[in-house]
Amino acid sequence: MNKTARKHDSAVLVDEGYWSSVSQAIQQEAVRLLEQGAVAGVVGYIAGRRTGTAMPVVAATPDEARQLIFSPACVNNLALYFTKAKKEVSSKGKLAIVAKGCDLRALAGLMGESQLKREDVYIIGIACAGVYGAHADRSQPLCDATIARKCRECTVHEPTGADAVAGTLPALQKLEPLEAQELARLEAMTPQERWAFWKEHFSRCIRCLACRQVCPFCFCEQCLCDRNRPQSVETTPRPAGNTAWHIVRAMHLAGRCGGCAECERVCPMDIPLNLLNRKMAKELKELYDYEAGLTPQEKGPLTEYKEDDDESFIK
Amino acid sequence: MPKTITEQNLNSLIDALVQDGTRVVGPKRAGTMTVYEPLSAGVELSLAEMPRRSAKEVFFPVCENILSFQRTEQGTTVTDVDVCTFPETVLVGARPCDAAAAPVLDAVFSWDYRDEFFLERRKKTTVIGVACTKCDDACFCTAVGLSPAETRGSDLFLTPLAGGGYVCQVVTDKGEALVDQHSQLFADTPSATPQPLAEPAAGQFDLKRIKAWLDNHFESPFWVGISERCAGCGACAFLCPACHCFDINDEGTEKEGHRRKHWDACAFGKFTNHASGHNPRDAQPERYRNRIMHKFKYYDDKFGQTLCTGCGRCIRACPVGIDIAAILDEIQKQ
Ligand code: SF4
Ligand code: SF4
Ligand code: SF4
Ligand code: SF4
Ligand code: SF4
Repeated sequence: MNKTARKHDSAVLVDEGYWSSVSQAIQQEAVRLLEQGAVAGVVGYIAGRRTGTAMPVVAATPDEARQLIFSPACVNNLALYFTKAKKEVSSKGKLAIVAKGCDLRALAGLMGESQLKREDVYIIGIACAGVYGAHADRSQPLCDATIARKCRECTVHEPTGADAVAGTLPALQKLEPLEAQELARLEAMTPQERWAFWKEHFSRCIRCLACRQVCPFCFCEQCLCDRNRPQSVETTPRPAGNTAWHIVRAMHLAGRCGGCAECERVCPMDIPLNLLNRKMAKELKELYDYEAGLTPQEKGPLTEYKEDDDESFIK
Repeated sequence: MPKTITEQNLNSLIDALVQDGTRVVGPKRAGTMTVYEPLSAGVELSLAEMPRRSAKEVFFPVCENILSFQRTEQGTTVTDVDVCTFPETVLVGARPCDAAAAPVLDAVFSWDYRDEFFLERRKKTTVIGVACTKCDDACFCTAVGLSPAETRGSDLFLTPLAGGGYVCQVVTDKGEALVDQHSQLFADTPSATPQPLAEPAAGQFDLKRIKAWLDNHFESPFWVGISERCAGCGACAFLCPACHCFDINDEGTEKEGHRRKHWDACAFGKFTNHASGHNPRDAQPERYRNRIMHKFKYYDDKFGQTLCTGCGRCIRACPVGIDIAAILDEIQKQ
């Protein structure tokens, strides 16, 4: 990083007033919805005990709704709670969701895959300025050093298609696209170097499956990776099974992944999974001119067959 | 009189052990994090940061072979793993909350079935614990009756000194033997001042009171409220020094393979799935309840101990911000 970049490291990106006004708007809307009985609960965030932390909550009463916040600590993709993997939440009845741009993408994806009907969810969209990265120092405000990599390159700061919008987007500074740079660095490697890069990372995987559990698109009731009769993928955390698991994951999410980078954020072993996701998204864009986006689409390129599909890359 | 050791001599101790063929495991920088790993020299020891995974894997690896099988024309032959081949190990730089977890685990691994894999490694390991001088707001060892200077589970215990180096407290015979064998590296320093210890902020939990509440609240709406957010991953259990559930799988080809023991977690949806298809813990709140019950009730019922040393790793790692210390606090207030 050069000197000027370092000088910006701890400059506050968004002033305090923005977060409190978004929080207030969420609370107002959530209280209104619950008081009117329009929804059974509002999936949002409440503050955690520790400095700079927050956690998902299903607020079911106006009192609980008054606790809802939005801050740089609101990192989770809450679309997770609308999947059948979280039946205990999704079966409560109609729910509202506090949704950043990345969560909206996931909701659109779920709708496209017939997992959720638009009329079954009330969307409180957030004009989102960004959130903390995985190991950010949370005693600091949102700044160049603490913002998530995905947010540096975000294209969905402004929510579209929401039922209500909380907050007004402040002027945002352009940040260095660290993730795109890293992807370019990987692409410039020889296949051997790239293989060595991933092998090293996958060797650390402990198969806690946090990456799978937080992904809104990992809602299969029977995951291939849990099968043991017969075993499809080695379930033990060893190189062979780990590599197989990550390839399965990347392929299964290709064309579906909304790019929320939750899988990467939650990995306790710091495996840069979003680089894989981004690479797959790029390939889909190049090969099929397809992007997982904000509008529900029924068929993705890898879930449908067309006579004129480009097959030139199949060797 | 207590002995002291300089940082340099601690490194020399590690070098000497490695040269003798002893396996030395300790916190080491690896990429973006610190992990307990085999050290090839003393300079690799890195005590500044809390290792991401706990030290339990010195005794209970993420994955290990427990037997191998081969198919021959005569039939199938099975070869056991000979635990006698496990190496003598020194675990150096263990956090007090990691060291203290090992004796807690001894209880379950030597109960109705003696797990020779775990117990043999325990027998062959000498633990050098180091007092903590730094902590964060996830640490709560003091709240569960331990402390940054807890010597339980250590054979030798080091406390950092104000001017550098450590004061060494011999805790067990194993620790004494280690000091005797390398006595030239230790010195007598009569007036050493220890560095101030870390001060976890959490107040003391009344573990008896928490257990009494758990005894009577298997069914309670409380569980739904605190844990419907749980994503059902194994991050909390896998990083925990005290969680010890494992699964056993046969992997290989039709000709040969291994039977492997590897970490498992009660948070996983399939953990209690029966062959019939019935799952007694069908929803995530029931699974999270089990986590708390196991740590603060069942383990206590059975072994008279708490299955948590307050290391805070589960709190730091939880993708959805579930904070076990905050939950215990809430239970205590019920
Ligand atoms: S990627 Fe965009 S929408 Fe998502 S959290 Fe970052 S700034 Fe918000
Ligand atoms: S979260 Fe990380 S360690 Fe856990 S299974 Fe996924 S890649 Fe492996
Ligand atoms: S694969 Fe990762 S980035 Fe893509 S939707 Fe799932 S959690 Fe988000
Ligand atoms: S339950 Fe959490 S705090 Fe307690 S020992 Fe395990 S990881 Fe550490
Ligand atoms: S408590 Fe957190 S870390 Fe543990 S299983 Fe649930 S989501 Fe994963």
